[in-house]
Amino acid sequence: MSQRIKAHALFEIYQEARGKRIFTQSILPGKIHFMERTMRDKGQEYREFDPTRSKLAAMIMKGCTNIGIRKNDKILYLGASHGFTCSFVSDMVGKEGIVFGVDPAPRVMRDLIFLAEKRHNIVPMLENANHPEEYKDKICEVDVVFQDVAQKNQEEIFIKNCKAFLKEGGYGLLSIKARSIDVRRKPKDIFIEIRDRLDKVFKVIDYRLLDPFEMDHAMIIIKKQ
Amino acid sequence: MYLYSNIIGSFVLSKELKVIDSLEFEDIEDYIHKYQFENKLQQKHKNLQPLPDYKEREMLVLFKEDKYMEKFYKRNLELAKHKLKLSVTEDQLIIQAIANTQELDRVINLLSKRLREWYSLYYPELAEYMTHHEKFAEMVATKTRKELLQGKTMGADLDEVHVKQMTLLAKQILGTFELQKQHKEYLKYIMEKYCPNILELAGTTIGAKLLELSKGLKRLAMLPASTIQLLGAEKALFRHLKTGARSPKYGAIFHHPIVQNAPRSDRGKAARVLADKLTLCARLDYFKGEFKAPEYKKLLEEKFNVTKD
Repeated sequence: MSQRIKAHALFEIYQEARGKRIFTQSILPGKIHFMERTMRDKGQEYREFDPTRSKLAAMIMKGCTNIGIRKNDKILYLGASHGFTCSFVSDMVGKEGIVFGVDPAPRVMRDLIFLAEKRHNIVPMLENANHPEEYKDKICEVDVVFQDVAQKNQEEIFIKNCKAFLKEGGYGLLSIKARSIDVRRKPKDIFIEIRDRLDKVFKVIDYRLLDPFEMDHAMIIIKKQ
Repeated sequence: MYLYSNIIGSFVLSKELKVIDSLEFEDIEDYIHKYQFENKLQQKHKNLQPLPDYKEREMLVLFKEDKYMEKFYKRNLELAKHKLKLSVTEDQLIIQAIANTQELDRVINLLSKRLREWYSLYYPELAEYMTHHEKFAEMVATKTRKELLQGKTMGADLDEVHVKQMTLLAKQILGTFELQKQHKEYLKYIMEKYCPNILELAGTTIGAKLLELSKGLKRLAMLPASTIQLLGAEKALFRHLKTGARSPKYGAIFHHPIVQNAPRSDRGKAARVLADKLTLCARLDYFKGEFKAPEYKKLLEEKFNVTKD
């Protein structure tokens, strides 16, 4: 049988030989956490990364050239929620890597804990991303910061956490929800304003609207220097 | 030499940030009582100072080694479970109870409509003159058609087998009514202890609904009166903000007797004043103040001439 899955241009991401769907290689073959579709190829199991359910997948589908996540990376994930994207990031970093999933809500933390009990590279933390000083003694320095919180001061939270935990030369991924900043202004104006402000602190290397997959969302990727 | 503790253990560090001595925690209880471990290390080594802030960044790099990852995982998982256990409050119990009460409302309506349709095959006149759902279900469940019959009926004469299913459904509906009543009594019982002022001024259903919409007493106490007035009218409010349609005057407090009994022209005003007093009540309850709600209630009733009925 011919090859059904081939490597994507990005690290740790796979795609169909024919078609556009993207996949990650499962570190726990045979386990499905979120009703996602799976595909088997050459003894390996691949989980489909649905761009309508995850902003990171949407960013990849929009043609992002570098998401900064590599194998064995240590990742700080702010706004882990039920852990949908978190489980794919944990696939990407592999068993040697680690994902610190931070979320302040007890309800979703329950689901994340059940996920973390199966996947030993997800670390659930019931903390508020607004106060990094409260969890600075619970984590180590990280290679990538991924933030997806729907807060009014999401940019401020991002800068705080990147300054505190991100290594020099590490990447930061910020997904912005325009509607939680201001419902009356045009989303694009908000994104450009935030991008310019981030550019003064870090180096912005990518900025994309996630349009057909997520309404009024954008993602910015920065590099700390 | 420095003393530094994190979730893994307590460490003694040299000036160059090399680990000299360490005591690792066995479980999360140790982390919560970490001062005991710090004291032990302090007795062993003299002249220990806490780590200055500007050096904490370097510590994070030190713990990036793979051997610590397993421990980070275990300790943080335990800590998250511990915090989750402590996070359950009366708020969540009230929110679940009121949410189920409202769900039962919908269920009762659905089942009652079906019972009416079904029983009308047998005895249509009863469904016609008895419009109250609970009384209707009670009649069907406890009495036979012979006992209820007034004059003649145009319903079909059905066998016992067919009627039995209807009586079973009626009993189920009565059970649901009973469950709802139990929920309301339970809500009253916890709210009497947890938020007596809100209970007194808003009543069980509206008070619990406000707590549900604001996701807890803490947040309700922090909200301004104008937001409390419009809790539950978010759709109309954002339509107003976005398109400039007319602004809503009341949300969940619309069903309160003070707003309901006020003349139509005064309803907005009544809602505003009521929301103002509810804000005060929420703050009194959250900060464990005195019981002032009856005073406010009397004031509002005088202002809007509400006669008790």
